[in-house]
Amino acid sequence: MENDPIFQPLKFRNLTVKNRIFRSSISGRFDNYDGSGNQARANWEEKFAKGGVGAIITSFVPVHITGRILPNYPMIDADDKIPFWRHVIDTVHKYDCRFIIQLSHSGRQRDVPGVENFMHPGISSTSKQDTFHGLLCQAATQKQIDDLVSWFAQGARRAREAGADGVELHSSHGYLFTQFLSSAINDRKDKYGGDVENRARFLVEVIRAIRKEVGNDFHVQAKLNAVDAGNALYPWEKKGNSLEESLQIAKMAEAEGVDAVHVSIGSIFPHPQLPSGAFPPDELNWWYGGMGSSGVRAYLNYAMFHFKILRPVFLYLWNRSKKQRPIEGVCAEEAREFKKALKVPIINTGGYQDGDLIRKVISEGYVDAVSIARPLIANNNLPLILKHGDVPERPCTFCNRCLVNAIANPLGCYEPRRFRDHEEMIKEVMTVYRPQPFPVPGEPTSVALSPSWEANKHGAEPG
Amino acid sequence: MAQNPAKIEGQTLPTIEGQTRVQAKDRELVDNVYGSPVDLWQHRFRRIGCGIIFLILLLIILWAIWRFERDTTESYADNVEHFKYGSIGSEPGGSLMDSQGGLLPPYEIFRVLPQVTPDRLPGGYESLGLTFEKGHDLPVGVTKRYRLGFEQVGVNCALCHTGTWRETPAGERHIVAGMPANRLQIQRLFKFILDSTLDERFTADNVIGLMKRNGVHLSWMDRLLYRATLLARVREATLQMQGRMGLLMDPAQVTEWGPGRVDTFNPYKALQFNWPLAQLPRQELNAPSDYPSLWNQAPRDGMDLHWDGNNASLAERNLSASLGAGVTPVTIDHPNVDRVAAWARTLPAPKYPFAIDAAKATRGQALYTAAHCLDCHGDHRFRDGVKTGQYLGKVTPIAEIGTDPLRLNSYTFPFASNQYTLYPESKYSFRHFKKTGGYANQPLDAIWARGPYLHNGSVPTLRDLLEPDANRPATFYKGYDVYDQQKVGFVYNVASEGATQYYLFDTSKPGNGKAGHYYGTTLSPDEKDALVEYMKTF
Repeated sequence: MENDPIFQPLKFRNLTVKNRIFRSSISGRFDNYDGSGNQARANWEEKFAKGGVGAIITSFVPVHITGRILPNYPMIDADDKIPFWRHVIDTVHKYDCRFIIQLSHSGRQRDVPGVENFMHPGISSTSKQDTFHGLLCQAATQKQIDDLVSWFAQGARRAREAGADGVELHSSHGYLFTQFLSSAINDRKDKYGGDVENRARFLVEVIRAIRKEVGNDFHVQAKLNAVDAGNALYPWEKKGNSLEESLQIAKMAEAEGVDAVHVSIGSIFPHPQLPSGAFPPDELNWWYGGMGSSGVRAYLNYAMFHFKILRPVFLYLWNRSKKQRPIEGVCAEEAREFKKALKVPIINTGGYQDGDLIRKVISEGYVDAVSIARPLIANNNLPLILKHGDVPERPCTFCNRCLVNAIANPLGCYEPRRFRDHEEMIKEVMTVYRPQPFPVPGEPTSVALSPSWEANKHGAEPG
Repeated sequence: MAQNPAKIEGQTLPTIEGQTRVQAKDRELVDNVYGSPVDLWQHRFRRIGCGIIFLILLLIILWAIWRFERDTTESYADNVEHFKYGSIGSEPGGSLMDSQGGLLPPYEIFRVLPQVTPDRLPGGYESLGLTFEKGHDLPVGVTKRYRLGFEQVGVNCALCHTGTWRETPAGERHIVAGMPANRLQIQRLFKFILDSTLDERFTADNVIGLMKRNGVHLSWMDRLLYRATLLARVREATLQMQGRMGLLMDPAQVTEWGPGRVDTFNPYKALQFNWPLAQLPRQELNAPSDYPSLWNQAPRDGMDLHWDGNNASLAERNLSASLGAGVTPVTIDHPNVDRVAAWARTLPAPKYPFAIDAAKATRGQALYTAAHCLDCHGDHRFRDGVKTGQYLGKVTPIAEIGTDPLRLNSYTFPFASNQYTLYPESKYSFRHFKKTGGYANQPLDAIWARGPYLHNGSVPTLRDLLEPDANRPATFYKGYDVYDQQKVGFVYNVASEGATQYYLFDTSKPGNGKAGHYYGTTLSPDEKDALVEYMKTF
């Protein structure tokens, strides 16, 4: 396809990406428990680089152990993680794919705290428990806020040292930044709480500290909520930031020198409205138990998922606000408002799979690029498929089974309808562990793309 | 909600950078050495939650105790009101799991029962001789007491010891406390209760529906309890009573008691001692006897009491009589029984309410002494506590007095021995009961109000009693309370009044014999009239 808007390069101030498809942040419990990385992470990211995405936004990368949402996520909390990241970056760079490390801190939203965090409540803007699982937290002191700011700055430095093409601040989806930004969560009485400027102070301080640490010639982007919709699950909860407040926050970030804004929605993650699509109660029954000890409401939720008679109650609450939004391009309309209000490029996430929709939102000025997670898990080579003007033979169904399995299992596509049988599905999931860390003679040295029967049709070779 | 687990246990919990602190325990083997913030939060919740659950359970238990273990009854300041309506504890009682006693169904059921089976009691409770007074929804002698979760109904002394009289059929009905219940048909009352509560129409739907129609609104809890337990319990109690007492309630098998009479000791054998009545000699079960008067008890202490004089202790006689009214050693309300007993000691005997021919009475007094009446019965001064007559209050052998022996025979030696087992090891245990060989000589205070006469009510008037056996009426009507000033007693030749049919008493039936006590029968008619005139002054 000539002049396909998807495959036009996107120039940021400090970075150029070969096309308009970003692999959105997805994590997977592949790495070592303590947050040191391993080969599986490189294999995982290589799948997407090989599949043709312009840039990869990494997994949720905690800048400190207190901010890890699940064990087995790679961290960037110390310089000893730099060699690992350099290895991953080298792997994806072979495919002319850019690599943006998502600097993150969970705050209170720590789904499985792990043994390191188990005895400590999360740090947050507030001491109020999370509204979904009842995850406990304590409001950060000034000292803790200062520490957090410096952890982010050091994380950015390590990213640059490892050769990353940029960093993204995960300031959406209910994690630590959202806990400060959202009027529904932040109940502070000091300079970090109150009006929108005060609530944005923590984000601004982090951006400033990063700029001070890495300079102005390094790509820094922020992932921001367009709306919090804090009352989407439980109607009695507060609504949180409106689009207007979010635009103000985005402008403040832009003024502080972020090079792009990545637009999403949701006061928690997962949120009824994002990721779009289904919420599989059978998978929740199987895997949510792992969160049983994480929050004070977890057993109540588990009961809702476990007892079939209660499932309709939960699903009613979960699904009631979904109808306002499409499944694909779930927050494209809000992203257009960001595009209008800001000068920096806008990336938008939320159920992008259909090439025509992606072309439309890019060419009609909604966004500059889209970021994709689940359709890329289903078809790692989705960009190449789109480049050929094709549609995926077995598309992502937005079933969210990958999301729920991620609590306990290696990340991958767990949609049984996309596979011949369960064994084939699991075999595909486990390909992330090949090649192994210690090369085995006769085994391939590069990952295979999924689905396996399509692997080579659109496969790109290392360049 | 502030999350500060440190405060919950009063210990220092790790800060965000700090280390985990292990709680020191004084034992080596402790499972819970760690308390994660989630644990501590949930522990607090559990404590609050358990506290709430415990509190709810406690409230339910307290409610259940209040509901089912409460024992309250109305107390009346006025002694006469208390006598008529105050509970002596004959309502079912004991504990919920082991209820005791009770002869009548609970209050609301008792009230609605004549409507449940209207054909069994077309005239209502009035037709059984129960007396209703203004301002009371229960008749005289029927009491209300909250026990076992419901308003229960019992009977007290006044049921059998409150009588009525009228001067004329149209005249006012005078209710006299302490007077024998001359109209009460207690056997039919209990037969009605038995038959109705075993009737197929005695269902929850009927009972509750009729109550609703009467304006009685039960709470949902009451309706539930009625359906789930109460009606079944009533029926169970009825079946038990039927099994024990059914024989005595069946006029085909025993002589009907009729108005003003009760078989004193045979129900007692069945209810208190669970004797199988069917195995007793049938003659022993035909012992209906007149209700005695209750007044002026003080001078009676020490006399041989009861018709056969089987006990000379007033207190024991009272206690025993209350057992006859359905109290049990478990359910008896001693203070209320004692209050009635104390009141009855000095309750004045009612004066003859009509004119007395003084001259004639004076003549009669002379005859009374001359005919040796005084020797056995004392004279008119007994009402003031003056005891005269050497045989007063003593037993005259049956061979000499010659009246119907069945009442005497119904009180047997084995029964007396059983009585001694009641109230064991307490101050209430009986010590004075004895088997006698005749009938006791009664003082005659207000004898005008105590007809019909003889222990079995077989002679309608005093004047008839002064006639030999052959001249005494062989049959006569009972239950009519218009007074006969000539013969002294109640008019006994009226078969019906409006819809009310009076009971035809037949002296030929076992236990109803009119023979005996021929004292004074040889006097002339004039002398007899004078004697009767004198006895009006008693």
